[in-house]
Amino acid sequence: MSSTGIPIPESPADGLAAVVALRRLADRLEAAEVERALHDGWNWSAVAEALGVTRQAVHKKHAKRLQRGT
Amino acid sequence: MFERFTKEARVVVERAREEALDAGSPSIEAEHLLLALARRGSPALLEVGLDHASCLEALDDELTRSLAVAGVGWDAPVRSRATLNSPRFGASSKLALERALRVAVERGDRRLDARHVLLGVLRAELGTVPRALEGAGIDRAALAASV
Repeated sequence: MSSTGIPIPESPADGLAAVVALRRLADRLEAAEVERALHDGWNWSAVAEALGVTRQAVHKKHAKRLQRGT
Repeated sequence: MFERFTKEARVVVERAREEALDAGSPSIEAEHLLLALARRGSPALLEVGLDHASCLEALDDELTRSLAVAGVGWDAPVRSRATLNSPRFGASSKLALERALRVAVERGDRRLDARHVLLGVLRAELGTVPRALEGAGIDRAALAASV
Protein backbone atom coordinates (compact mmCIF):
# COMPACT_ATOMS: atom_id res chain seq x y z
CA MET A 1 0.00 0.00 0.00
CA SER A 2 1.17 3.50 -0.75
CA SER A 3 0.83 6.36 1.73
CA THR A 4 -2.48 7.33 0.11
CA GLY A 5 -4.01 3.96 0.92
CA ILE A 6 -4.37 3.18 -2.78
CA PRO A 7 -2.68 -0.08 -3.74
CA ILE A 8 0.21 0.37 -6.16
CA PRO A 9 -0.73 -1.16 -9.54
CA GLU A 10 1.06 -4.40 -10.31
CA SER A 11 2.31 -3.16 -13.66
CA PRO A 12 2.42 0.00 -15.76
CA ALA A 13 -0.26 -1.56 -17.98
CA ASP A 14 -2.60 -1.86 -15.00
CA GLY A 15 -1.73 1.61 -13.75
CA LEU A 16 -2.26 3.22 -17.16
CA ALA A 17 -5.52 1.32 -17.63
CA ALA A 18 -6.64 2.74 -14.28
CA VAL A 19 -5.98 6.25 -15.63
CA VAL A 20 -8.11 5.46 -18.70
CA ALA A 21 -10.87 4.06 -16.49
CA LEU A 22 -10.87 7.17 -14.29
CA ARG A 23 -11.20 9.36 -17.41
CA ARG A 24 -14.10 7.23 -18.68
CA LEU A 25 -15.81 7.43 -15.31
CA ALA A 26 -15.24 11.20 -15.14
CA ASP A 27 -16.67 11.64 -18.67
CA ARG A 28 -19.72 9.56 -17.82
CA LEU A 29 -20.27 11.38 -14.54
CA GLU A 30 -19.83 14.75 -16.26
CA ALA A 31 -22.44 13.91 -18.91
CA ALA A 32 -24.92 12.84 -16.24
CA GLU A 33 -24.29 15.74 -13.86
CA VAL A 34 -24.32 18.44 -16.55
CA GLU A 35 -27.69 17.12 -17.66
CA ARG A 36 -28.95 17.16 -14.08
CA ALA A 37 -27.71 20.70 -13.49
CA LEU A 38 -29.46 21.97 -16.65
CA HIS A 39 -32.67 20.19 -15.67
CA ASP A 40 -32.38 21.95 -12.32
CA GLY A 41 -32.17 25.29 -14.09
CA TRP A 42 -28.43 25.99 -13.96
CA ASN A 43 -27.05 28.13 -16.77
CA TRP A 44 -23.93 27.23 -18.73
CA SER A 45 -21.75 29.80 -16.99
CA ALA A 46 -22.58 28.23 -13.64
CA VAL A 47 -21.94 24.71 -14.99
CA ALA A 48 -18.56 25.81 -16.38
CA GLU A 49 -17.56 27.56 -13.16
CA ALA A 50 -18.58 24.56 -11.05
CA LEU A 51 -16.53 22.29 -13.33
CA GLY A 52 -13.61 24.69 -13.15
CA VAL A 53 -13.43 25.12 -16.92
CA THR A 54 -14.27 27.84 -19.43
CA ARG A 55 -17.68 28.12 -21.11
CA GLN A 56 -15.93 27.32 -24.38
CA ALA A 57 -14.57 24.10 -22.92
CA VAL A 58 -18.03 23.06 -21.79
CA HIS A 59 -19.57 23.86 -25.16
CA LYS A 60 -16.92 21.85 -26.98
CA LYS A 61 -18.20 18.72 -25.25
CA HIS A 62 -21.79 19.65 -24.59
CA ALA A 63 -24.58 20.95 -26.77
CA LYS A 64 -25.92 24.41 -26.10
CA ARG A 65 -29.26 23.03 -24.99
CA LEU A 66 -30.67 19.74 -23.79
CA GLN A 67 -31.59 17.52 -26.71
CA ARG A 68 -35.06 16.07 -26.60
CA GLY A 69 -35.76 12.38 -26.72
CA THR A 70 -32.29 11.22 -25.81
CA MET B 1 -9.98 8.31 -45.10
CA PHE B 2 -13.45 6.83 -45.62
CA GLU B 3 -13.57 6.74 -49.42
CA ARG B 4 -12.57 3.05 -49.54
CA PHE B 5 -15.10 2.05 -46.89
CA THR B 6 -18.07 -0.06 -47.96
CA LYS B 7 -21.52 1.17 -46.99
CA GLU B 8 -21.57 -1.50 -44.27
CA ALA B 9 -18.27 -0.22 -42.81
CA ARG B 10 -19.58 3.35 -42.84
CA VAL B 11 -22.69 2.20 -40.99
CA VAL B 12 -20.44 0.62 -38.34
CA VAL B 13 -18.48 3.85 -37.95
CA GLU B 14 -21.68 5.91 -37.63
CA ARG B 15 -23.07 3.38 -35.18
CA ALA B 16 -19.86 3.75 -33.13
CA ARG B 17 -20.72 7.41 -32.69
CA GLU B 18 -24.05 6.36 -31.16
CA GLU B 19 -22.30 3.87 -28.89
CA ALA B 20 -19.98 6.65 -27.68
CA LEU B 21 -22.98 8.87 -26.95
CA ASP B 22 -24.69 6.04 -25.07
CA ALA B 23 -21.56 5.66 -22.94
CA GLY B 24 -21.52 9.38 -22.17
CA SER B 25 -18.19 9.62 -23.97
CA PRO B 26 -17.12 12.85 -25.69
CA SER B 27 -14.92 10.81 -28.06
CA ILE B 28 -15.39 7.72 -30.21
CA GLU B 29 -12.94 5.07 -29.01
CA ALA B 30 -12.00 1.59 -30.21
CA GLU B 31 -14.46 -0.01 -27.78
CA HIS B 32 -17.29 1.89 -29.48
CA LEU B 33 -16.25 0.39 -32.82
CA LEU B 34 -16.33 -3.05 -31.18
CA LEU B 35 -19.80 -2.38 -29.76
CA ALA B 36 -21.00 -1.12 -33.14
CA LEU B 37 -19.72 -4.31 -34.81
CA ALA B 38 -21.41 -6.43 -32.13
CA ARG B 39 -24.65 -4.44 -32.51
CA ARG B 40 -25.01 -5.45 -36.14
CA GLY B 41 -24.18 -9.05 -35.30
CA SER B 42 -20.64 -9.88 -36.38
CA PRO B 43 -20.45 -13.64 -37.15
CA ALA B 44 -16.87 -13.87 -35.82
CA LEU B 45 -17.85 -12.16 -32.55
CA LEU B 46 -21.00 -14.28 -32.18
CA GLU B 47 -18.90 -17.40 -32.72
CA VAL B 48 -17.06 -16.66 -29.45
CA GLY B 49 -20.29 -15.65 -27.71
CA LEU B 50 -19.87 -11.90 -28.03
CA ASP B 51 -23.13 -10.12 -28.75
CA HIS B 52 -23.74 -6.47 -27.94
CA ALA B 53 -24.79 -7.15 -24.34
CA SER B 54 -21.80 -9.35 -23.56
CA CYS B 55 -19.40 -6.81 -25.12
CA LEU B 56 -20.90 -4.10 -22.92
CA GLU B 57 -20.55 -6.38 -19.92
CA ALA B 58 -16.91 -7.19 -20.74
CA LEU B 59 -16.12 -3.48 -21.11
CA ASP B 60 -17.91 -2.56 -17.88
CA ASP B 61 -16.02 -5.35 -16.09
CA GLU B 62 -12.73 -3.96 -17.38
CA LEU B 63 -13.75 -0.48 -16.20
CA THR B 64 -14.66 -1.85 -12.77
CA ARG B 65 -11.38 -3.77 -12.44
CA SER B 66 -9.24 -0.82 -13.53
CA LEU B 67 -11.11 1.61 -11.27
CA ALA B 68 -10.47 -0.78 -8.39
CA VAL B 69 -6.74 -0.48 -9.14
CA ALA B 70 -7.16 3.26 -8.51
CA GLY B 71 -9.06 2.53 -5.31
CA VAL B 72 -12.38 3.60 -6.81
CA GLY B 73 -15.55 1.55 -6.56
CA TRP B 74 -18.67 2.16 -8.60
CA ASP B 75 -22.01 0.42 -8.80
CA ALA B 76 -24.64 1.71 -11.16
CA PRO B 77 -23.31 2.74 -14.55
CA VAL B 78 -24.35 6.36 -15.02
CA ARG B 79 -25.50 6.83 -18.58
CA SER B 80 -26.58 10.12 -20.05
CA ARG B 81 -26.22 11.55 -23.52
CA ALA B 82 -28.73 14.41 -23.43
CA THR B 83 -26.20 17.24 -23.40
CA LEU B 84 -23.38 15.72 -25.43
CA ASN B 85 -22.27 17.11 -28.76
CA SER B 86 -21.52 14.65 -31.53
CA PRO B 87 -18.36 12.86 -30.36
CA ARG B 88 -15.13 13.15 -32.35
CA PHE B 89 -12.81 10.28 -33.16
CA GLY B 90 -10.44 9.57 -30.28
CA ALA B 91 -6.91 8.24 -30.56
CA SER B 92 -7.82 4.56 -30.12
CA SER B 93 -10.51 4.54 -32.82
CA LYS B 94 -8.27 6.43 -35.24
CA LEU B 95 -5.58 3.83 -34.65
CA ALA B 96 -8.07 0.98 -35.15
CA LEU B 97 -9.28 2.46 -38.45
CA GLU B 98 -5.71 3.03 -39.64
CA ARG B 99 -4.96 -0.60 -38.82
CA ALA B 100 -8.12 -1.66 -40.65
CA LEU B 101 -6.86 0.15 -43.74
CA ARG B 102 -3.48 -1.52 -43.34
CA VAL B 103 -5.17 -4.95 -43.12
CA ALA B 104 -7.06 -4.23 -46.34
CA VAL B 105 -3.83 -3.16 -48.07
CA GLU B 106 -1.98 -6.26 -46.80
CA ARG B 107 -4.72 -8.51 -48.14
CA GLY B 108 -4.89 -6.68 -51.42
CA ASP B 109 -8.55 -5.79 -50.80
CA ARG B 110 -9.68 -2.69 -52.62
CA ARG B 111 -12.64 -2.05 -50.35
CA LEU B 112 -12.68 -1.87 -46.56
CA ASP B 113 -15.62 -3.70 -44.96
CA ALA B 114 -16.79 -4.47 -41.43
CA ARG B 115 -14.37 -7.42 -41.12
CA HIS B 116 -11.42 -5.13 -41.75
CA VAL B 117 -12.72 -2.80 -39.04
CA LEU B 118 -12.95 -5.74 -36.63
CA LEU B 119 -9.42 -6.84 -37.48
CA GLY B 120 -8.21 -3.27 -36.99
CA VAL B 121 -9.80 -3.22 -33.54
CA LEU B 122 -8.39 -6.65 -32.67
CA ARG B 123 -4.84 -5.67 -33.65
CA ALA B 124 -4.48 -3.49 -30.56
CA GLU B 125 -2.38 -5.22 -27.93
CA LEU B 126 -2.76 -2.44 -25.39
CA GLY B 127 -5.75 -0.50 -24.18
CA THR B 128 -9.32 -1.06 -23.14
CA VAL B 129 -10.44 -3.53 -25.83
CA PRO B 130 -7.68 -6.15 -25.44
CA ARG B 131 -7.99 -5.91 -21.65
CA ALA B 132 -11.77 -6.33 -21.78
CA LEU B 133 -11.47 -9.31 -24.15
CA GLU B 134 -8.80 -10.93 -22.00
CA GLY B 135 -10.96 -10.43 -18.93
CA ALA B 136 -13.85 -12.12 -20.73
CA GLY B 137 -11.63 -15.10 -21.53
CA ILE B 138 -11.50 -14.38 -25.26
CA ASP B 139 -8.41 -15.44 -27.22
CA ARG B 140 -7.90 -12.33 -29.36
CA ALA B 141 -5.45 -13.97 -31.78
CA ALA B 142 -7.78 -16.93 -32.38
CA LEU B 143 -10.70 -14.56 -32.81
CA ALA B 144 -8.76 -12.49 -35.37
CA ALA B 145 -7.79 -15.65 -37.23
CA SER B 146 -11.48 -16.60 -37.55
CA VAL B 147 -12.56 -13.28 -39.12
